[in-house]
Amino acid sequence: MHQISLYSFASVYILLLIVLMIMKRAKINKTKELFVASVLMTVQLMVAGYVLTYLFENPYPLFTLLYFVSMLLFAMRRVFSQKLALNKKFKISIALSFLFASIVVPIFFIVFVTEQSFFNPQYTIPIAGMLMGNSMTGFNLALKAFKENLENNQDSIHCLHMLGVHPKKILMPHINSAFETALLPTINSMLSMGIISLPGMLTGQILAGAAPNNAILYQIAIMIAICATVCISVFCGLYFGQKFLYNERMQFTF
Amino acid sequence: MNDTPILSLTNIEARGFISYPDIHIFQKKVCLLKGESGAGKSTLFQILNGTLSPTKGEVLYNDRRVEEQNPLALRKEILLVSQSVFLFSETIEANFRKFYEYREEECISIEKMREYLELSKIPRDLNTSCTELSGGERQRVFIAICLSFLPKILLLDEPTSALDEESAQALMVNICEFIKKHNMALVLISHDSQLSHFADQEIVLKRQSADGRILT
Repeated sequence: MHQISLYSFASVYILLLIVLMIMKRAKINKTKELFVASVLMTVQLMVAGYVLTYLFENPYPLFTLLYFVSMLLFAMRRVFSQKLALNKKFKISIALSFLFASIVVPIFFIVFVTEQSFFNPQYTIPIAGMLMGNSMTGFNLALKAFKENLENNQDSIHCLHMLGVHPKKILMPHINSAFETALLPTINSMLSMGIISLPGMLTGQILAGAAPNNAILYQIAIMIAICATVCISVFCGLYFGQKFLYNERMQFTF
Repeated sequence: MNDTPILSLTNIEARGFISYPDIHIFQKKVCLLKGESGAGKSTLFQILNGTLSPTKGEVLYNDRRVEEQNPLALRKEILLVSQSVFLFSETIEANFRKFYEYREEECISIEKMREYLELSKIPRDLNTSCTELSGGERQRVFIAICLSFLPKILLLDEPTSALDEESAQALMVNICEFIKKHNMALVLISHDSQLSHFADQEIVLKRQSADGRILT
């Protein structure tokens, strides 16, 4: 693959400056966030680059495992820091579902689909990262939609509650709708993939010199794995979490 | 008069600072709950309906502590119709069906639905969309649906607030007759002094401060 020189690479930040100018002009008060996010992304990826180079040169299983666990912990912290969960037990249920899907699907994918060792950092780290990232986004969308649904439908929820309807029956339509919201971006990107866009991983592999056909097989497999991770983690999180939104007297606790 | 109350509340305290007088609800009787805003009337309704547990005291339904009874079955028997009612954006008939479906009960016949609408003074066809109804009509359609469930105790929070005096009186006459005919009990929250003559029993709640003092 053609090596980007540092000067050429630095020129990409001109695009970021244009974004900042547009935001300032449009009086969008997010310039600070964009700046911080850009700096953080640059630093995090640079550090990751060095760590990954070291890991690939020294592929000890323990290092891969440590990296995987630290990715999990970092992602869990992100999930926990969100203010979208409705109470502590609901939050725990979401974290556990996230953990479950983020461990089981990558193991299945790496061991059975790519036929590699789970301790091979070249496969485990990028694939697990992609799956966890999508799962986090899925949770974010689902929880936001779920919370909004509950707020916007307070009248119907209270009314059905007072009529003696089981809380689970009241919550399920809102859970299903939040679940759909979480899955929509993945399904939409699957629909347009290959025609409108070439996804990041495929682009990366092609730029790195991989044969397009093989890269495409990987892309198809990873898209299905992403869909499965988002689906399993969000569904389990919301479905098991809803049990903590009411007590044994069938009173809502959020 | 049947001297055994169907529902009794003793030494009830809610949300940590609202304390209530002992209350006894009797079958075939109408109990009117009065008091200024913030006195805890709606909170009391939630306690009666079991959607809120008191922080202190004892609630007996049919001589048994409510904690020992199935909360959903209890809620179906002590039905609360709050001030802000909800109807699905469909026809009146579809609303009857949906609420019955939610309660996992077999829906009543079309004729029965018409009877309940008449009882609640709704001169509308069952095919009328609920989006076309006025606030008062929506409230009465919801009351009609709730009456059709034949609860043992019906809790109505300001049922006539959106009605003119004549309609309010006519509705209350019908509801009170229905209650007595079906051995039910009615507990009513209302600021309307015109409804006092329907009540067999009146309870006045006082507004209290966070430390339990009665505010005058």
